[in-house]
Amino acid sequence: MTDAAHAATTVANHGDFLTALSHADAESVKRFAEGLLPQLGAIEVLRSRTGLVMLPFRDTVKGTDFHLGEVLVAEAEVRLTDHDATGYGMVTGRDLEWAMAMALIDAAATADLAPAAIDAFVTGLEAANADRDRARLCAVEATRVDMETF
Amino acid sequence: MAYVATRGGEKAIDQSERLYRADMGTIDAGRIAEIRRALPWLIDRVMGEASLYEADLAALALAQSGGDLYEAVLLLRAWRTTQPRLTIAEPVTQDKLFTHRRISAAFKDIPGGQILGPTLDYSHRLLATGVLEGRPFVPAAVEPATTPAPAEQPSLAAWQKAQGLVADPAREDVALDDIPDLTREPLLFPAKRAHTLQSLARADTGGVLALGYSAMRGYGNAHPTVNELRLAEAEVVVRHPRGTMFSAGRVKVSQAEVTSKGRSGQLDLGFCATFGWNEIKVIAGATLDLNAPDAPQNSPVNEEFFLYHTEPVEASGFCIHFKLPHYVTFQSALDALRDAKAKAAASDAASTASAPARQPAVTEEVPA
Repeated sequence: MTDAAHAATTVANHGDFLTALSHADAESVKRFAEGLLPQLGAIEVLRSRTGLVMLPFRDTVKGTDFHLGEVLVAEAEVRLTDHDATGYGMVTGRDLEWAMAMALIDAAATADLAPAAIDAFVTGLEAANADRDRARLCAVEATRVDMETF
Repeated sequence: MAYVATRGGEKAIDQSERLYRADMGTIDAGRIAEIRRALPWLIDRVMGEASLYEADLAALALAQSGGDLYEAVLLLRAWRTTQPRLTIAEPVTQDKLFTHRRISAAFKDIPGGQILGPTLDYSHRLLATGVLEGRPFVPAAVEPATTPAPAEQPSLAAWQKAQGLVADPAREDVALDDIPDLTREPLLFPAKRAHTLQSLARADTGGVLALGYSAMRGYGNAHPTVNELRLAEAEVVVRHPRGTMFSAGRVKVSQAEVTSKGRSGQLDLGFCATFGWNEIKVIAGATLDLNAPDAPQNSPVNEEFFLYHTEPVEASGFCIHFKLPHYVTFQSALDALRDAKAKAAASDAASTASAPARQPAVTEEVPA
């Protein structure tokens, strides 16, 4: 199944799908990936490592892009040999299991394995991530200043 | 300068390291977790100066160094070199930041409004000594608003540019691989702007503050007002092997613009950003950036002066190297000193021998 076809049947698009997994509670992603394992067949691990991602930042005064510093990430890439599908995961931090779980879920989605379960899981993650952000932003909003000029 | 090889002291060195570490005791995962949980602002400062964003590692570095910030930063910078660089993320832009705090001291009614976010700016600085007497300090809970703040806030500088209040220089798109990188090329002067801002991002907070403060007190060309200060989280946007762009997570960032009236009839702006939430550093750093153009040589706001002197690993390393044996160089100085004294004494003796004997004009009083 192509990415485009996959995008039509699951969450809005592949980017949102991956972002939901990388912003979620790591343990829930690991548990879900573990549940998928019996359906995946043989798995070839292509990459599982930590490394650095340089993060550029754009200066607001002159528009210059410069390097803010490096972010440690965990990265994984797998191939489902029985289904000829690959999956990829990258998360900030050192949690290789989280990155591997993300890659397995991505590979399963690409191979169109358990599409309904994956769709429901990722949709749930998106909702949980949004709830967490909303709670924080409601607290932030409480600090908005209503100024009066005398 | 000369060096000599010396032997001895191995046991003392070994025992001195043991003594240092014995004073801190066993370091376990629980201590790391507690440091990370309890000291987020310190973790942020260390990650910024180390130029490496990973809170657990920063907490570990603090635990191992017993809180010596320069040792912690050195540990992290050294560890960083063991890791491969996997990719370069998409540039972070201000209007996409997940914003927790955003204020302006220059404009009351900024687009998007003023949001204080987490701050002690207006708090009473009272030490909660009751904690030491068994009464825990329990912070009052936030009373959240019913509607959330917008996650993304507009850029004040962009609005000012649109109003013609500040210059709007044409920006040049640079490929990610071509962004100048201080970790792979030397800092040369006049510095590229990308080098200046990267150097400030990883600079020593105390050093940036000291030099920025000197400019604020009058040893610079411009007095700053905070145009915009932001504490936020930035998405780390990377590319999937099949080309999809996605965020691998968020990292905390700070950024500040400071402003003063320029000579061209517009406002001048200075800029600084760093990893983590560290307001002092970005305000002081932006002040240095504001003051740098046309700064006199050897002034604290000259970019060569402040960039070279605020690099934490180089500066602390140079400082502590003076503790290491300098016996040969010091012996040489001592020999020169003794030689000069001997020559002076010989010269005095020669002049005394050739001059008529004189009685001292004043006789020393001898205490009873």
